Amino acid sequence: MELFTDSIVIGLTQYAPLILAAMGLALIYRLSGLINVAYSETITLGAYIGMWINTTFGFGFYATLLPTAIASGLVSVATYLAIFRPAKQRNAGVLEMIIISFGLSIFLRHGLQFIFGYPVRFYKVSRPDVIRVFDVGVTTFRLMALVSVVVLALLLYWVVQRSRLGLQIRALASDEDLAQVSGIRPLFVTVLIWFIAGAAGGLAGSFWGVGSNVAPLLGWRQFLFIFLVVMVGGVKNIGGVIIVGAMTGVALAAMTLHFGQVLYAQLTLIVAFVVFMKLRGSRTVGAGKV
Amino acid sequence: MNLDWLDAFLLQGLFQVVMVLGLALLLHLQMGLARIANFGVVGFWGLGAYAFAVLFVKVDWSLGEPWPFLISMAFGAAVAGLAGLLVGWLIADLETEGVLVGTLGFATSVWILTITEQELTGGALGMGGLRFPFDIGKTKANELLWFGILFAVVALIFFYVYRVHRSPYGRLVIAVGDNEPLADSLGKPAFRTKLWLFAIGSAGMGLLGAIHGVMAHLLIPESIGINVTLAAMVGLVLGGMARVWGAVIGVILAVGLFDVVVQSYLPLPRSWYTQAIPVLREMVFGATLVAVLIIKPQGILGDMRRDKLTRRMHGG
Repeated sequence: MELFTDSIVIGLTQYAPLILAAMGLALIYRLSGLINVAYSETITLGAYIGMWINTTFGFGFYATLLPTAIASGLVSVATYLAIFRPAKQRNAGVLEMIIISFGLSIFLRHGLQFIFGYPVRFYKVSRPDVIRVFDVGVTTFRLMALVSVVVLALLLYWVVQRSRLGLQIRALASDEDLAQVSGIRPLFVTVLIWFIAGAAGGLAGSFWGVGSNVAPLLGWRQFLFIFLVVMVGGVKNIGGVIIVGAMTGVALAAMTLHFGQVLYAQLTLIVAFVVFMKLRGSRTVGAGKV
Repeated sequence: MNLDWLDAFLLQGLFQVVMVLGLALLLHLQMGLARIANFGVVGFWGLGAYAFAVLFVKVDWSLGEPWPFLISMAFGAAVAGLAGLLVGWLIADLETEGVLVGTLGFATSVWILTITEQELTGGALGMGGLRFPFDIGKTKANELLWFGILFAVVALIFFYVYRVHRSPYGRLVIAVGDNEPLADSLGKPAFRTKLWLFAIGSAGMGLLGAIHGVMAHLLIPESIGINVTLAAMVGLVLGGMARVWGAVIGVILAVGLFDVVVQSYLPLPRSWYTQAIPVLREMVFGATLVAVLIIKPQGILGDMRRDKLTRRMHGG
């Protein structure tokens, strides 16, 4: 019983950024059918931007969240306009798009390493308060990450499923030409999606960054798990990603407690998810092509 | 033998170029022809290296030289090939995204196992005890001979890839890569073709990994990072993914520029080589992938040159 409650509390709070990042990656995938490997650098950049605002202007951690989200969103939009849109206009195939995003990811990651060097950076924040939930100590930062997940999830649900804009997004993802004929502006909607996704990634990055440290490999270390959550959760609606993300967090926490070693937990998860994808078969997960 | 003319750095650089060339040629079969996006090249390469090393170092061999060495080499390639068969079975009928996550996941799994299985692999400290199967005098002479052996192996791989392009089997692979449902509907075993091609390519990568292990003398988990996959991919994409000579030209241009020209001939301060150059190299590689695929997606050599039969069929 103790293992059970411990795993749920630790899993949901420690891995909340994972759910946040997975939602962002899934949004882009849902709209454009692109698995954006460079999304891991949007996450890393979020951590660096937050750390920079925090240490340069002396903002508290919570005060850095909004500017970080906006700046990461803008970075994400910039990568779309500078790289992915031109590539799409030149009719790059799925494989080519993935390699392009992989190349961009490598470029940005090592660019960060070139600028900031090998030493890891830290946020300058005072020790966060610890709240006891079911006898497990949880820092307020981690609770805040979980709150962000809930807020963003509700916002996305409302925007995508209930608003007029959401209708446009879904129309665009299923048939671009038809959507255009009906007077939807693809560029505006696409840019907006890349902005929201980038903001979610940047926030995930700053939660990870403040929890441990800020390093060029921060996003890349998490990317495989974010990616697995998106592939298994499916993208028909964002709910699947949230559920699978939460289950992944709890499972990782439980296995880490059980094995006493996070690496075995990760290994088990990778194998389980890839086997699951094989068993599910080659059904497409319903991504768009903008 | 007097080898003073040969710089040790130059030899290391050339070894690196030929090693990446071998990987790029095998990746060409998988990604260029069959369109299987293998992002886990380093997984098979590293698995081959570690499987070879574990058998060679940990077993108390009673056989005389060179048998332990040859058996271990074959074991490394076989383990990587079996892993290729397993991973291939998992991913061969998935979409490109599924292939990406499966192969990346495999490479990460191999990396995790090299750290956790300390008894076998020495964990993060690394695994030593690897040596050349011969001793012909100085270190440099041994290394030169080993380079020659690598060169011969990669030449054989090149010959094999060249033959595949000009064979009925090659046409089958290209057809499956181009349009899998069509190949399937014409009665061609698309899944099995991809699976075997993937497994054979992976076994070759494992063999190259074992050859690398001998040259490096020490295997550490950091040496099996994504940069190995990246180097092979950059060479292949730059030269032309669909062409046999594409890998050769691309690898010589990309890896050759950094590991031979910059490393041995540019008068740069020594401290740059450990700090700035490796990071810059990856940056340039990443930017190259983006630039080539946006500006000229077929690479330097352009599109596939069909063999005589297909050209006649297309009337060209």
